[in-house]
Amino acid sequence: MKRKPLSWLLAVPALALTLSVQAHEPEEHMKDAEQPDCMAMKDMDHSTMDMNDPVMQAMMKKCMGAMHGDPSESDMEDSDHNTDTKESEGKKPAEHQH
Amino acid sequence: MAAMKIFSCFKCLALTALLALVGGVAFMYAGIYPMGADVPHNRLTYWVLETLRERSVARASNGIQVPADLDSPERLLNGGADYNDMCSGCHLKPGKTQSDFTLGLYPAPPDLTEVHDTHGGDAEAEDRRRFWIIKHGIKASGMPAWAPGHDDERIWNMVAFLKRLPELSPEQYQILTARGDNNQDHH
Repeated sequence: MKRKPLSWLLAVPALALTLSVQAHEPEEHMKDAEQPDCMAMKDMDHSTMDMNDPVMQAMMKKCMGAMHGDPSESDMEDSDHNTDTKESEGKKPAEHQH
Repeated sequence: MAAMKIFSCFKCLALTALLALVGGVAFMYAGIYPMGADVPHNRLTYWVLETLRERSVARASNGIQVPADLDSPERLLNGGADYNDMCSGCHLKPGKTQSDFTLGLYPAPPDLTEVHDTHGGDAEAEDRRRFWIIKHGIKASGMPAWAPGHDDERIWNMVAFLKRLPELSPEQYQILTARGDNNQDHH
């Protein structure tokens, strides 16, 4: 008879703990997740961008889908690839802005 | 004679200590210390508390091993999203100079979009300090301990993001911190 209230005493804090942990799971934030504004990358000065910079790589990774979906963005990506190639050849990267 | 002098001096010291103790307890119970967050500490109290905090965090974080891949793009993306959800309300984001929390909290939370050098250029010590503070929080400051519900890897992701935060533009910040994924169309 004494076991029932005791199990409730254990179950309620355990449930509360589980819910509080779930609240901080990244999936919980996905319900009203903000979309990355990848169009803003068009207005950035690509001549000053370093493709080896982790910030740049992270942004490219985040916006990869948007770039492949939008033809104008694929132009940008192509030109970035060209810039990369030129840099690797030791030439000055093309200075252009979209 | 000398022994009497020492005993008398000891009595004098003990009496002074007792008086200080009684005075301190009386001050505490009188309730006259202004506890409101809108009344700043005096300079001595502020210095004592700040020194206590910094020395404690430096000692506690001393042996923490910093991961070698803190500059990976994956860490920036994961840490950025968490920073935006959990920290930006108090510690701000590019293009924002204040919030209700920065105006109302005391001590005011540091603006992490600005460069802070608390370790004289020792970047690793700063990483360890940030990791420890995010994980354990700071007593009576409004900074919570994020360890419950957040593993070490997730906290290191936030540390990685903090390293680059001061140099991000609002546009870069938005892209890095948005949890939504534009990769649905990617083949």
